[in-house]
Amino acid sequence: MDKTGIEEKVIQFIASKVENVDVSKITTASQFEELGLDSMDTVQLLFDAEEEFGVSFDGDEVKNFRSVGDIVNYIGNHPSSISA
Amino acid sequence: MRIVVTGMGVVSPIGTGVDQFWDAAIKGMSGIRRIQSFDASRQRSQIAGEVIGFDPTSFLSAKQVEQTDRFTQLALLAASLALEDAGSLDGYAPERLAVSLGSGMGGFATFESSAARKLQNKSVPPFTVPRIMANSAAAWIATKYRLKGVNLTSSTACSSGGNAIGMGLDLLRTGKADAVIAGGTEACVLPLTMSGFEALFALSTHYNNDPEQASRPFAKDRDGFVMGEGAGILILEKEEAAVRRGAKIYAYLAGYGCTCDATHIVAPEVEGQVSAMKAAIQDAGIPPARVDYINAHATSTPLGDIVETKAIRELFGERAQEIAISATKSLIGHTIGASAAIGSIATVMTLHTGTIHPTINLAETDPECDLRYTPNQAIQQKVQTGMCNAFGFGGNNVSIIFTTL
Repeated sequence: MDKTGIEEKVIQFIASKVENVDVSKITTASQFEELGLDSMDTVQLLFDAEEEFGVSFDGDEVKNFRSVGDIVNYIGNHPSSISA
Repeated sequence: MRIVVTGMGVVSPIGTGVDQFWDAAIKGMSGIRRIQSFDASRQRSQIAGEVIGFDPTSFLSAKQVEQTDRFTQLALLAASLALEDAGSLDGYAPERLAVSLGSGMGGFATFESSAARKLQNKSVPPFTVPRIMANSAAAWIATKYRLKGVNLTSSTACSSGGNAIGMGLDLLRTGKADAVIAGGTEACVLPLTMSGFEALFALSTHYNNDPEQASRPFAKDRDGFVMGEGAGILILEKEEAAVRRGAKIYAYLAGYGCTCDATHIVAPEVEGQVSAMKAAIQDAGIPPARVDYINAHATSTPLGDIVETKAIRELFGERAQEIAISATKSLIGHTIGASAAIGSIATVMTLHTGTIHPTINLAETDPECDLRYTPNQAIQQKVQTGMCNAFGFGGNNVSIIFTTL
């Protein structure tokens, strides 16, 4: 999957998980905080993203995830871990 | 100072809300079915009292559902029903509103599902711990209704709900709260939990094809308890304040007794049960002769029902024969940490309505169980003082007294 494809899928996924957010407002630059997520919400979202995309985020790297783009980049950089 | 019950909420295998629950109870309806929530074909006991059709999304957001175990969700629904029944508690300061809840197992559905993931080397959901912890249900009730006072959870196995109600009584008497949301909740119709009870030969296994017959306290051919799930919540207040705010008063919560057998971790004992009942009667400050109804612990295990029968006989002597007894577990199975709370609601409804719900499946009584168990048919009888018993693993014995006098 190319980067645009991953980006679209991640944004769609986040729109389905985050309450009261318009999908058209979500970009790779969107910070989790701007989407109304507190730290526990973010941890839950990242867990759900692992399930959804069949990836396993590295424990040290994931602590620094702040934006939608961080998820997109990680998946793009670890294509072998994508299950389908 | 006297403590009153001003609201009740129940979620059970025979109905949600006190009216639906009580209507089914006095009709002697069974809530025991073949297990629907998981594939139980490899369990020895394949039946349970489940809350069928329970939909947490009808009262919680998607996020709240994700953050809560089923035992918390059942408690939240029971609490909302009880608070609605009690009317507004807005006159009390939030710091004076307490929660005292019981749960034997806590969020065990979450424990089982997260453990299964871990054993497969999968990552574990971030809300695993806050969903499992035993005080999760009490904490969620407090958070939802901004109850900022004492927040306690009793975990004393099958007597948890009884201890929670007793603690609620103590909190009010000692001036540590003005109103208490008290009760119990449990949701452990689960493969590992049930396998654990099966390993102790505690569950019924001979009625898998005839589930409604399986929970048969005091019956000759009983063969163990049937797992149940549910939640029961009572709103407790001081009489004067409740009267002042114009609350409906169901009954007085008059006494609480709690003792430990201190002999065996799972086997029940006559002496400990007698002393708990005696302590509750003393605490209520009434003569034993005033007790005219007992909501028995009566789980339908071969040993337990005989021990409780002996304990009642030992305490009340000749009069034991005159006391009406019924076993709520014959209808809904054993809801573990919720059972004494649901049994307390049944006791209060007995006082309130003058109807004693039956102990079903009692065609032929065990010769060693020789008291008045209200077999199969409800009876109309004015009851003024009722006692609810709850006995748990760990040798914990709890008795609670409700009265209208």
